[in-house]
Amino acid sequence: MLMHDVSEKAYPNDRMIRAVQMDNITKIYEETGTLANNQVNLVLHKGEILCLAGENGAGKTTLMKILYGMERPDTGSIAIYGRRVHINSPLEANRLGIGMVHQHVMLIDDFTVAQNVTLGKEPIIHAVAYDEKRAEQLVEDIILRHHFSIIANQLVSSLSIGQKQQVEIVKMLYRNVDILILDEPTAVLTEQEIRALFVTLRSLIEQGKSLILITHKLNEIKAISDRVAIMRQGRMIAEAKTDSVDEYEISRMMMGKNVGSNIHKPSPVLSGRREIFRVSNVSVIKRDSGNPLLNNISFSSYSGEILGFAGVGGNGLTELEGILTGMLSVSQGTLEYRDTDVTKADTRKLRAMGMAYVPGDRLHTGVALEATVGESLIIHARHRLSRIGFMQRKKLAQYYRTLSHKYAIQGSMHMLTRMLSGGNIQKLILAREIDQWRDLIIFSEPTWGLDSASSQFVYDQIWLLKEQGAAIVLISSNIDEILSLSDKIIVMHRGKIVARFNHSTNEVTKEKIGTYMLGLAHQGATDDD
Amino acid sequence: MMIRVERKQRKTITALSDSIGVMIIVCIACASIVLLALLLSNDPLKTLKYFFFGSFQSMYYLGNMINSAIPLIFGGLGVSLAMKAGLFNLGGEGQVYAGAFVASILVLVMAPFGIVGAILALLAAIGVSSLLAGISGMLKAAWNTNELITSFLVSNIVLLVVNYLIAGPFKDPNTNLIATRRIPPQFMLPKIMPPSNLSTALYFAIIAVMLVQIFLYRTKSGYELRMYGLNSTFAIYGGISRSRYQIGPMMLSGSLYGLAGALAIYGTYFTSIKEFSSGMGWNAIAVALIARFRPMAIIPAALFFAYIESGARNAMLHSDVTYEISSIVQAVVFLFVTSTVLQKGSIRTRRNL
Amino acid sequence: MMQTLGPILNSAVVIMTPLLLAATGGLFTELSGMLNIALEGLMLIGAFGAIVFTHYSGSMFIGILAGILCSMLLASLIATVSLYLKANVFITGLAANLLVSGLTVVLSFKLFGNKGVVSFVNIPQLPLLHLRWIEKIPVIGNLLMGHNGFVYFSWLLLLLCNFVLYRTPFGLRLQASGLHDQVLVSLGLRPAHYRFIAFLVSGFTCALSGAQLTLNLGAYVPNITAGKGWIALVVIFLGQKRPFGLLVAACIFGLADAFSNFAQGSWDIPADFILAIPYILTLVAIIGVSIYTKRKSRIG
Repeated sequence: MLMHDVSEKAYPNDRMIRAVQMDNITKIYEETGTLANNQVNLVLHKGEILCLAGENGAGKTTLMKILYGMERPDTGSIAIYGRRVHINSPLEANRLGIGMVHQHVMLIDDFTVAQNVTLGKEPIIHAVAYDEKRAEQLVEDIILRHHFSIIANQLVSSLSIGQKQQVEIVKMLYRNVDILILDEPTAVLTEQEIRALFVTLRSLIEQGKSLILITHKLNEIKAISDRVAIMRQGRMIAEAKTDSVDEYEISRMMMGKNVGSNIHKPSPVLSGRREIFRVSNVSVIKRDSGNPLLNNISFSSYSGEILGFAGVGGNGLTELEGILTGMLSVSQGTLEYRDTDVTKADTRKLRAMGMAYVPGDRLHTGVALEATVGESLIIHARHRLSRIGFMQRKKLAQYYRTLSHKYAIQGSMHMLTRMLSGGNIQKLILAREIDQWRDLIIFSEPTWGLDSASSQFVYDQIWLLKEQGAAIVLISSNIDEILSLSDKIIVMHRGKIVARFNHSTNEVTKEKIGTYMLGLAHQGATDDD
Repeated sequence: MMIRVERKQRKTITALSDSIGVMIIVCIACASIVLLALLLSNDPLKTLKYFFFGSFQSMYYLGNMINSAIPLIFGGLGVSLAMKAGLFNLGGEGQVYAGAFVASILVLVMAPFGIVGAILALLAAIGVSSLLAGISGMLKAAWNTNELITSFLVSNIVLLVVNYLIAGPFKDPNTNLIATRRIPPQFMLPKIMPPSNLSTALYFAIIAVMLVQIFLYRTKSGYELRMYGLNSTFAIYGGISRSRYQIGPMMLSGSLYGLAGALAIYGTYFTSIKEFSSGMGWNAIAVALIARFRPMAIIPAALFFAYIESGARNAMLHSDVTYEISSIVQAVVFLFVTSTVLQKGSIRTRRNL
Repeated sequence: MMQTLGPILNSAVVIMTPLLLAATGGLFTELSGMLNIALEGLMLIGAFGAIVFTHYSGSMFIGILAGILCSMLLASLIATVSLYLKANVFITGLAANLLVSGLTVVLSFKLFGNKGVVSFVNIPQLPLLHLRWIEKIPVIGNLLMGHNGFVYFSWLLLLLCNFVLYRTPFGLRLQASGLHDQVLVSLGLRPAHYRFIAFLVSGFTCALSGAQLTLNLGAYVPNITAGKGWIALVVIFLGQKRPFGLLVAACIFGLADAFSNFAQGSWDIPADFILAIPYILTLVAIIGVSIYTKRKSRIG
């Protein structure tokens, strides 16, 4: 790279070479009319790790998509190693040495690691044919050089999420990038996997790469970055050396106001607790493989108690959510709801009995994006709001007014649900579920992807429900959330219960739960509650 | 109050942007007619004159044009109703034909019971068509078989079977046509615009549009059906029965097609002629697509299609082109009607492909 | 027994060829993630184009080339509307089928003043391949030899297709666009590009498939494809979307069809019912596949 050499002479100090310089970037999304980036400036020096921090919707991802050529800015300029460039596609970004690892892995499950890595830049043999052998050799070289834990000819479908992320990084290294953007890389990883990732990132820096990490986790910013850039509401609020600011300052800049740490200490279990839902020896088995997705699970949920389930994605949490809510049928075992056998009951019946449910996949299960906000809201109340089969429009409007006021849902009844923000959609779902709840409510990933203000709102609602005596099941891959809310904690691994903790009596740490989540330890079967 | 204003604005905006799309489609259709006339006719001007204005030269032609819109209205409603539940009923051809055949045979059998017999024959026709469509719904509910393909295949089989029945066991020996026996005159629907064929079936069609509109947007079942169509996971999560909204809308859709066929017999044809309903099912789908599955928009869309068809017929009668040019024009409409880019009237979204 | 079986097997080979050709092209669109139901229309326009241009040019080669051109033009029309104007590919496919069935009638009327069967007496016969030494092999010899060039070309094409799909970068990207097109987008590649080429390939093979039907017969019969495009689609599903699976599935349909032709000749079955057989088979196959898929993915 010729121009690289030229700039190196201009900046004798390696640390001060500006690998990336973005000036006055403005981006407006016409469809929604949102100002995603407002005259943003950003500098990345060669050989540093820069954390791009901010709440959800602050514009971090948009800014990085612009740098990676996936979005075009309305105004502003980009310079790579001092040379002004126009980046119109990821392909051009790759050519300029820029790579990006997305929040959700972009891989083809039915292809091997090597095929995924080389796709779009395949080695050729005999003029036209794909050189599979050479592809595997090249990829294996990269894997060995960086000590990744994957094999080139392995199918991607057999990899864990952490390993899939490694494939994404290898994909970028194969393209010889030296500026790497990682979008919330730790969101889906366990503590141990995060540590391994950080080791990898450090080794990349030693080899002269420059990194931008998008994140909103304060401890990670402190642990890994050299500098931090903070965005809020589309603007760049501050850039600073990480050593010179503390976590408190960073969070203040991210949110624009002081937020105390709102960790509730689990309150003692209310007296007179009743068993509401009992799961006995339940297994869910896939027909074709005979693999158990859930393996002999037993537990009970009591009134006035929050029962937390922790686990890494793909270890049975989704299936657990399914069987508790009647969306998935069990292969073996029984389910009882207030002493009634509900093993074969569907969602309809469970709801009629008083179950409420805030689904993990809120955009696809929790609402109909193409329906109006009103229509998404009345899904449970529809029986109440109709007479002899006809919907009563006045009652309907009244219902919307009451709930939207109580839960501060922005927007209007006739707007499409798609137009609401993530936080507002979750409020809508909460409003609806809490309105129909009787004694059991299931939360799955209740704050996933929400900013801290919205998360706090959700936590407050969960606490309120507990005080009112609800039996609450909380399924979450966010260990902090599990620790701060649950009275009892169950850890799942490979569809099995591997640990149970009584949080109100025992001391539980994040590391301890992480160990069980990864299957590194297993409590004896006698260690029951 | 504010909500109402905002809602009105939203409605106007969507109506405007939708009508741009429809205008583009209509222009493409007209352009293809002109092109075909220039290529195929020795006297293109005469052909075009009859194509575009032939339908308005007398009450006879006008009435016939409106009359041929009637089955398209019923069929278009049927397609829309299924589509609102996220289901595609592609079996309209067979369902119309079967409905017409059953009605024309049974009304002869039931003739002794007078008007009651005629109504029973009508109900039987609706029932048969609704079952034919229902098969696809049931297959979908049982094994998640793609209803789009099965309804098409079932319909193709039905077409051939009915062809066989009309030409074979049920053929009227007293006519040169391959057709069933004529229905008794007392069961023919009254004409409302003589000398044209337009009958009181038109009123049934208008009533059907209003009933479907009310069902979809004012009733609980309509709400459940629409939610199922917009997002079935959300609907099941909300306790809406999966099988009910996989089978029910298909059956309703089939019965509307059956009604189209039966009323075509009572109002226009009075006998099932071999392949008389050919094309009605396909055109009804195109009508529903142009109307974006909104019941109220079905009537103008159906009139537009009937206009093309009757234009082609007039051009054939008075000039030197064949009737099949209408199917070319209709196919061209079909080709472009689902284009989301044309709907928006721009190609801005192209880059994202 | 051998006397009836021999001709049935032999005609099965001829019957399966158009299915195999159309399915081979359809495999490309299917793997690229587009349900291509226009196979029927692409075959029909290829069939019409091939014989009409053979008639006017006097050369079968030019005729076939012209047929291919017609079919690929239609394929690119469907692809443009579906991919760049973003229309529903199923509806555009249907539209193409309707368009061709109208267009062939209109053109046939314009050119020959006839909407029905048009026979061409002056066009050359399709040459048949005979290799003595292969014919001497008992049983298989007669099965392998004595067919027209299309039959052998369809086998070659299948081998080529297998290579292109699994051994070239193009094949890899084509499959990627069907499996997870956003991956290609994130790499700066355009799935639409590969899908477009897939449509062109299907136009090419469908034209050959149609040309074999008309040139073999020496006449154009309205709607000569009679649902064969749909069967080709079933062949793709039944063949598990693998080139050699297609061969097996096409064989099965060829045999079934040959047998039903024999049955129609021997027993008195109404023609309408015979015509319904492809649709019934398709229906049964699709239900079968969906039961299998459901069983496989079932939990419990």
